[in-house]
Amino acid sequence: MARPQSPSGSAADTSAQSPPPNRLQSARAAVQRFGGYLSGMVMPNIGAFIAWGLITALFIPDGWFPNETLAQLVDPMIGTLLPLLIGYTGGRLVYEQRGAVVGAVATIGVVVGSDVPMFLGAMIIGPLAAYLTKLLDKVARPRIHAGFEMLYNNFSAGILGGAMAVVGLFGIGPVVQTITEVLGSGVQALIDLQLLPLVSFIVEPAKVLFLNNAINHGVFAPLGAARVSETGQAIEFLIETNPGPGLGVLLACMLFGPKVSRSTAPGAIVIHFLGGIHEIYFPYILAQPKLIVAAIAGGITGVTTFMLLGAGTVSTPSPGSIIALMAVTPRGGHLSVLAGVAAATIVSFIVASLLLGFGRPERNKEKAQRSNAEAQQ
Amino acid sequence: MSSINGSDIKKVVVACDAGMGSSVLLTSQMSKSLSPHGVAVEHASVDRIPDDADLVLCHSGLVSRARSAQPGTVVIGFQMFLGDPAFARVEQAVREGETIAD
Repeated sequence: MARPQSPSGSAADTSAQSPPPNRLQSARAAVQRFGGYLSGMVMPNIGAFIAWGLITALFIPDGWFPNETLAQLVDPMIGTLLPLLIGYTGGRLVYEQRGAVVGAVATIGVVVGSDVPMFLGAMIIGPLAAYLTKLLDKVARPRIHAGFEMLYNNFSAGILGGAMAVVGLFGIGPVVQTITEVLGSGVQALIDLQLLPLVSFIVEPAKVLFLNNAINHGVFAPLGAARVSETGQAIEFLIETNPGPGLGVLLACMLFGPKVSRSTAPGAIVIHFLGGIHEIYFPYILAQPKLIVAAIAGGITGVTTFMLLGAGTVSTPSPGSIIALMAVTPRGGHLSVLAGVAAATIVSFIVASLLLGFGRPERNKEKAQRSNAEAQQ
Repeated sequence: MSSINGSDIKKVVVACDAGMGSSVLLTSQMSKSLSPHGVAVEHASVDRIPDDADLVLCHSGLVSRARSAQPGTVVIGFQMFLGDPAFARVEQAVREGETIAD
């Protein structure tokens, strides 16, 4: 165990203490934590998303191997299985297994009778139902007579879950369906006005602040799922997951960055582009914040290309590896997805290289250091 | 501000936002160098760091979340995912039994 330092607090102790986090930092941590909560409901279930994405890509009428029987799997999986998994996981985050069960039961209420995949609804009602169970237990458990614990546990979960399913069906479901549709038509309006690329101004900086999962799984996944159930593919899935902007920055760092970056960037490129762990490029931008301009430029280029070519994927590519992107791209859409990734990479690389002065400042600095060292010898 | 002696470290937890991406990558790297010293390395979400963690490693952008999740546990932040001096610091503390503080 870590032992907390003695509270006697010598001068050395206090001077070594980190300064209290300022308001911006604590706001950032709060947003991160909320986002972490959203992505924490989705990310453990990515395997199911991939199963659904592959089945969709393979067996729908314009898939690789159209098959009517197997295509029956598609709708129940996205409409019922995935929201239930999200509601279950959301409940578990709040109140362990007991919360998970109540969360899943409550989620079926928003799922039934909804025309859109109820990801948002599940993200709300799953944790809410679990939280209510937690509250109820806190009040009721101390009053339960010995020997009646199991009876209480089972029936309280059953009654509360059932009641929440009814609330979900009549109350939360219709509201969330409206919200999902409004947000979806907002994205559609951005596409119609050709303004969708502007979201890169928000997405790329937010990614680097470790809000990548929150944005992708908390915002774009529910919107994309709603669009997929209508049109078979969604551009929303590509906005955050496009590995192009990060790849361009890493390539520029590999060629023109400071010495440390030059030696680590090749490994980072493999992990980023093939492994899909975008976090690996964030530090390169955090160390030189001006590089965010390159990521934004790349992001805008990527989204524009996707939009003009009508690119989309059937499911969220997670992790954001080029392999995952290709796996969830519908038949015939691969070139347009690749074009968006390539365009984003090229633009991000060029802008980042310009910002790094094609390595000239670094070379001069190293030269100066060398001549300094020689002068001292 | 917490500190721990390297010889008391039995479990290092690498934390990231979801506990599924970059932390897993670093876990496999760290366990290569730490497991010969009998130190277990695990990965977790920064909001759900297990209670028996002796030392937490996470990106400096996530340190405040890690601290609030496990106050009193040593949290070492790093800047880069590859080749950050923080990893060498933890390895050295474990190997030499030196005290490490956050």
